Order: sequence, then structure tokens, then C-alpha cells
Amino acid sequence: MPTAFDFPGGIYPPERKHRSQQSALLEAPLPRQVILPLQQHSGQPSTPCVNEGDVVKVGSIIARQEGMISSHLHASISGVIVEISATQITIDSDGRDDWQRLPEMNWQLSEPLALLERLNDSGIVGLGGAGFPTHIKTRVVEQHSIHTLVINAAECEPYITADDLTLRHYAGDVLEGAQLIAKLCGARHIVIGIEDNKPEAIEALRQVLSTSQPLAVQLKVIPTRYPSGGERQLIKKLLDLNVPSGGLPADVGVLCHNPGTLLACLQAVRDGQPLVSRVVTLTGDALAQPGNRWVRLGTSVRELLEQAGLDRAQLSHVIQGGPMMGSPLLTLDTPVTKLTNCLIAATFDELPQAPAESPCIRCGECESVCPVALLPQQLHWYARAKDDAKMQHYHLFDCIECGACSYVCPSHIPLVDDYRDAKNRLRHQRIETLKAEHAKHRFEFRQARIAREEAEKQARREARQSQNRRTPTAAASATSGEVDLRGLRIAHAAAKASVRKAEKTLARVAQEDPKQSLEDLEIQLATAQENLRAADIQLAQARKQQATETPAPAQNKESL
Amino acid sequence: MSMMQASQTDSQNAAAKRPSTANIMRWVIIATLPGIVTMSYFFGLGVLSNVLLAAAFGMAFEAAILRLRKRPIRVTLNDSSALLTGVLLGVSLPPASPWWLIGVGMVAAIIVAKQLYGGLGHNPFNPAMVGYALLLVSFPTYMTLWAPPQGAVPTDLWAHISGSLPTAQLDSLSGATPLDAFKHKSEAMLASEFWAAQPLPSGTLTAWRLIAVAWLVGGVLLLVKRIISWHIPVAMLSSMILLATLFYLSSPSHAGSPLFHLLTGATLFGAFFIATDPVSAATSRRGKLIYGAGIGALIMIIRSVGGYPDAVAFAVLLMNLCVPLLDLYSVPRPTGHASRGDRR
Repeated sequence: MPTAFDFPGGIYPPERKHRSQQSALLEAPLPRQVILPLQQHSGQPSTPCVNEGDVVKVGSIIARQEGMISSHLHASISGVIVEISATQITIDSDGRDDWQRLPEMNWQLSEPLALLERLNDSGIVGLGGAGFPTHIKTRVVEQHSIHTLVINAAECEPYITADDLTLRHYAGDVLEGAQLIAKLCGARHIVIGIEDNKPEAIEALRQVLSTSQPLAVQLKVIPTRYPSGGERQLIKKLLDLNVPSGGLPADVGVLCHNPGTLLACLQAVRDGQPLVSRVVTLTGDALAQPGNRWVRLGTSVRELLEQAGLDRAQLSHVIQGGPMMGSPLLTLDTPVTKLTNCLIAATFDELPQAPAESPCIRCGECESVCPVALLPQQLHWYARAKDDAKMQHYHLFDCIECGACSYVCPSHIPLVDDYRDAKNRLRHQRIETLKAEHAKHRFEFRQARIAREEAEKQARREARQSQNRRTPTAAASATSGEVDLRGLRIAHAAAKASVRKAEKTLARVAQEDPKQSLEDLEIQLATAQENLRAADIQLAQARKQQATETPAPAQNKESL
Repeated sequence: MSMMQASQTDSQNAAAKRPSTANIMRWVIIATLPGIVTMSYFFGLGVLSNVLLAAAFGMAFEAAILRLRKRPIRVTLNDSSALLTGVLLGVSLPPASPWWLIGVGMVAAIIVAKQLYGGLGHNPFNPAMVGYALLLVSFPTYMTLWAPPQGAVPTDLWAHISGSLPTAQLDSLSGATPLDAFKHKSEAMLASEFWAAQPLPSGTLTAWRLIAVAWLVGGVLLLVKRIISWHIPVAMLSSMILLATLFYLSSPSHAGSPLFHLLTGATLFGAFFIATDPVSAATSRRGKLIYGAGIGALIMIIRSVGGYPDAVAFAVLLMNLCVPLLDLYSVPRPTGHASRGDRR
């Protein structure tokens, strides 16, 4: 089924999916111990809610979400909590695999709010790699109307077959999960985008396509090309919609989910099963039995690879994720998390080290493969020169870090690494600027408060003095008091105006972007209010003083 | 970080390969072979002596200056870029040019135009054309010494190369290139009269045309191997043909035909081997189109109005000057950026 729409660029790296594609989806043996990091999602790490020595079942919540973009964490085996550190929780298995499930729900009969709550309670995050909490993603409907749910089954990175196998085994469940999410976000269409190198998954989908309801599901088979699984690229390819720069798919009315996430959503609702395991592709030439496994979260990578027949003598390095965008693991003593979709135990021959970098000759090959139509070679030049203004001019932040440019570069320049560094540096600068601004506002607030307190003190002192006795200098100060009064009236009016302005700004920003932090604006408002209070006191005091000293002319002046 | 390397061998996916920088340079050198062979056939061993001498000078100067700059010598020489510069300058010079002329040209190309700007990837100007332009303005006599096509071993080959040929004898041996002859025909003479008078030694025009076709063959090889993109050559040749047609239509009696401009001089050689030098050319696709079209237009303007018969070197160098500006103003609109018309 050809599609007319296309994104620019793209590459055809060797797929190497056949090794893990051929064997069935198996259940990995139950681990004796799991290590569960508190940060397995974007946003804030979750906070432990158990103590060392506590006995837990599979599915017990062991850490709760912290802040808005965060997610709960559940025990993935039954046993005893043996260690809680700042970053992770360790559980020793009791070998019984006792489950603690949530009550089963019928998603078709349940309230959307209850379903959202269930997704949150089940700790579901996007299993494609970014790990964005699913219930938050679904809540975009509060601000955007969603017309289409896209199931991103492109799985364009070489080696990875987790979604492929998930679809072959659970095509019906994935579609039901999609119906569930479509109900929650109010989508009217469901579209599956899948690359044509997964014929069995496509066949499995075709089998169940007609029975999926209530929404009709459209299957779109697209040619295999990297990176058609990029959210923006897939949306362009399937729907001919351009997600605006710096925006989200929701801005064009689309929500994207990968099959694994949808399956987890359905299992959470239908079976009451929280996210405690996921499908992981184990592959690479250093494995004797490559394939896909259902793996309990927290299982050690070393254990998993050894069970798959790891040949240590052959192993060069292990990559987590795909060969294009994944990263090499520094140690095998690391756990599988919600974000681990693939582990490649590579031999030196299959993924050799990059040859030494040579100078860029501006051949433009990177430009021709860039799926975002950037000029990677110019960005490279300015990233190395740390010319931040130029990098913005060449749209650095539109880079999706797919690595197509690095892949084709004849000079073997690690282009994406350059961009990532530059982005980090620029983000850091932005945060520093915000911090400085914030500090300035706090300082101004403090100054205003001190001024107000000083004015109050002064007022009390004056009041005391005027009660007790009249000083000879009072007459002299009366004349100057008249001049002061005018200045104070102006200052008072200005303070009033700035309070009004601060209130208006705060209201406007709060309405425009409810998610944004308003702390700075609130401080600014408070500062303005302090200033107004100080001006009030000073003015009142000056009036009183004038009234007591030269009553007649002052009143005349006031009445004028 | 992309762990997959383009240099990986994978039988399934041969089409996706991109050669390394050194391989790109070598492919360009290979693509010059049809041109060099054809030139040698018509102009004799003098062409080969040019190329070999220039290449040797190129490697030697590169090694020397890398040593001075305390840069790795072997790795850099291995990228074959100095070799390529030598080959390109070598084929641009009149056959059997004296060794010192070639040496001076390569000093300008490798030391001044390339390494003083920071080496491979940093030179704003095409090194071979800097060398050529310098020689053309400094030693016009030697640079116009194109002997008529002759046998494989020209007379006094050794005396030519060693520079021991008396200057007085130089003129008697030289012939004009077709562009040169046509440029310097008398004002009163019509083009038709010029051609009727058979102004060039027999076979000269055919030789130049066949050489041009040989460069085209090499150029197509580069295009097929995806060493160069089509943008620059197509833009350059299109703008040349367009302007040549305009000039020809406006005064058919005095202007050369579009075909004449296309198949003589360094037009096709320049289009595929000189203008496409990635380092000194514009980078974006739109930039490349403007850059190529600019070169084509400048060639036609200099040939028709200016003082030089061929103008590839000057046109390329002038457009090299415009590259920073082109790069700045031809940034493509990335996906997801609203075009000016449909900003919502």
C-alpha cells in the first residue's frame, strides 16, 4: 500500500533483524534479585514508600510518583526489600511469584477518569524509549483536541524486533489497547504505521483488523527506511501532517503510541496488572540464543545475556537500544528498566569502532539524509566553534538525533554527539539565566520588604514622638513635608500601577500556559505589593504630620 | 552516538555504503583517467609529465608544511587530497609545462590556498584554481603555450619540461586553443568567415571536443558513484547554455554557438571536477544551484566580454567568494517550520 507523503532524507542501514526475529517470544526465567531504579521515566524520580525488610508481592507499589511528570514503581518479583538507596530499590525473591493485582476493569464501561487513574496506578510509561508517563500523555486532550491515534509499529532501528514480536503474539490486545487509549483521548481514527520488513506482524494485524471496535483501524504498510519510526517522520508519512517545530504531535491533533505501551495499558486495565515486565530484544552475534523475552523489570543485564548464551570471548560491547540511537553499556551489572527495548551483545566484527575522524570536506551527504532537512555540516562547524547564535540560525533544536548524518559521514565525524553537547550547553545556559533572573527577583522582594518594615517602624516612631512632645525642628520639617507629600503621592500612584501590572501579567500567563511555573511572577507581584504598602504608610504618615503641623493650608491643598 | 558505521561490510546492504573521505578523493582521481588518457592521446606525454610532476610536488609540499605545522603527515597524505589537487592542476596546464612553473603553481595551491587556511576542509578557495589563476596572471606566455595536437612524444619534450628551451623558440611552437583563436579573431571578421578560413591546425577542434567528452564520461562516473551531486554541474551547464544561446541569438555572426562553448576549453572538466569541489562550494542544495549557475554565468560573461578566452578558474574563484553568503541565506526550512505563507 503506497503512501504519497514522505519526509526528506533517510538511510538504509543493514537491518540485522533476522537473528532475533526467528525465535518465539519466551518468558525469561524469574530473577533471584531485581534492582529497580527510581528513575525509569522522564521527569522526577519517584519516592520510595517501603522500608528495608518489607515483604512485597509482584505489583506492590514500592515508590510513588514525585511531582507532575513522574510515575509509580512496582515490585516486579515477590520477596523482601533488601536495600533502598538514593537511586534504586533492591528486592530479593522468595521464589513464589505471588501477585498483587488491581481489580479488573471493563474499559468500555468505565469512566475516563477511572481509566486514567488506573494507568497512573499501574506505572505505565511509553515503552518506546522516552518513557513519558502515559496518563500525562493522554491528558493532552485537556488542551488539544485529538483526531487520530497513531500506533507506531515502524520499529525502524536495525536489530530491534520487540514490537514485531509483540504484534505477532498480541495483535488483538494491542488493537484493544489502542481502542482504550482512543476512547480516553477522544480520537476518531486509529492508524497503524508498520514497515514492510515485518510480514508476519502485518499478517497478524490483518487477521484482527476487522474485529477491532468501536473505531475502524487503518493499517498502513510503509517502505523500510530509517528513521520512519521517528514520531514526526511517521506522522508526515501516514497523515501528511507536519508537527510544528518545538511542538508536539498533539498540536496537529495526533497522539502516538508504540504497540508495547498499548499492550501494557490494556493489561493494566483488563487484568489489573501493573507494569512489572516488558519485551526485550536480546540479539547480537555474541549471543547463541538470540530472541525476544518477557523480562521482569530490574533483571540484571548480565544474567539475561548469559541465559541467552553469551560468548564472553567474542563480546566487544553491549548496546542498550538500537545501534543508531542507543548507547553502549559501561557495565553489564545494570538492570533492565521500563526503557530497555533491546540489548545488543555485539562482536567486534559486527559493530566495529568508528575509524579516526578526519576533517569535514562539506560533501553534503549528511544534508541529503537528514530527515528534518537541516544542514548538519554547518551545524557541525558552528558546534565546534561554539557559535550559539549560528547554531540557532541553523535550527539546532530541530535535530531529532537520529544519527543518519553520522552514519553516512565519509569523514567519520560523530556529528550527533556534537549536537547533543551543544544542546546540553545551551539548555544549561538557559537554566543559568533563569536562575539569575529568579535570584534578582527574590533580592528585589527582600529589598521591598525591608523598605516596608522600615517605613512602618518610622511611622510608629513618629507617632510616638508627636504624642510626647513637639520639637522645635518640627516647624522646619513642615515645609519640606509639603514637598515630600507630592513626591510620595507620585510614588504611591506608581506603586499602585505596578501592582496592577504585575497582577495582569500573572493572570495572563497563568491563563495562557497553566503548566508553566509562576513563581517568578508571583514574587514580582509580591514585591510590587510590598512597595505599595510602604508607599501607603509613608503617604499616610506624611499627611498626618502635615495635618498636625499646618492644618489649614494642607487641607486646602488636599481639597484642591 | 551512532554505533553503526558506514564502512561496515554487510552483504545485505551494499547500496547504502558511503566511501570514506580518502576513497572519495581516489574516486575523483580515477574519474580523471578518461580525460587524461584522451588528452595524452592528442597532446602526447607532456600531459602525463604535467600530472606526475604536479602530483609529486603536491605530496612533497603537503608533507613539508604538515611537518612545519606539526600535524600528522602520513594520515593526511593518505587522504589523497594533495594528490588530487596535483592531478587537477596538472591537466589544466599546457602540455609539457616547465617544472618550475608547475612547482610555483603547486606552492600557491597547497601551501597558500590550502594549508595556510588550516588544511583539508578549511580552504575557502579551490586550491588547484588558485594555483592556475596565479600562473595565468603571472606567466601568461607559458600559460598559453598549447601546442597543436601531435604525436605521442612531442618535439623537444625534455627541453620543455626542464625549462631549457630558449624563449624565442617558444612562440614558434605554440598554437592557439580554439577558444583563444576565436576570442582573438579580428573584430571585422564574421564567425562564419573565421571558421571557413580554417584558423586552427587540422584536428584541433575535434581533439578538444573528444577531450571534453572524456571529461563528461568521468563526470558521469562520479555522478553514478554518488561522489558528487548533480546540482552544481547541471546548474552551471544550464546557465552557460542559456547565456550562450542568448548571446548567439543576439549576434549570430560574432558569437560562438552554445555547443562551441560547451565542448571547448575547460567547460566540462570545470563542471564536474572543479566546481564540484565540496570544500569550497556552497553546501545546501539551493546554495549549490545558485553557486553553479553563478559559475556558468561568469564563464560566459568573461568569455564574451572579458579579456580571457577561457574563464573557468576565475569564475570558480569568484563564486568561492560568495559561498559564505550563499550558505548563510540558503538554509533550507526544516520540517515543521511553517513557510511564510501558511503560518497559523
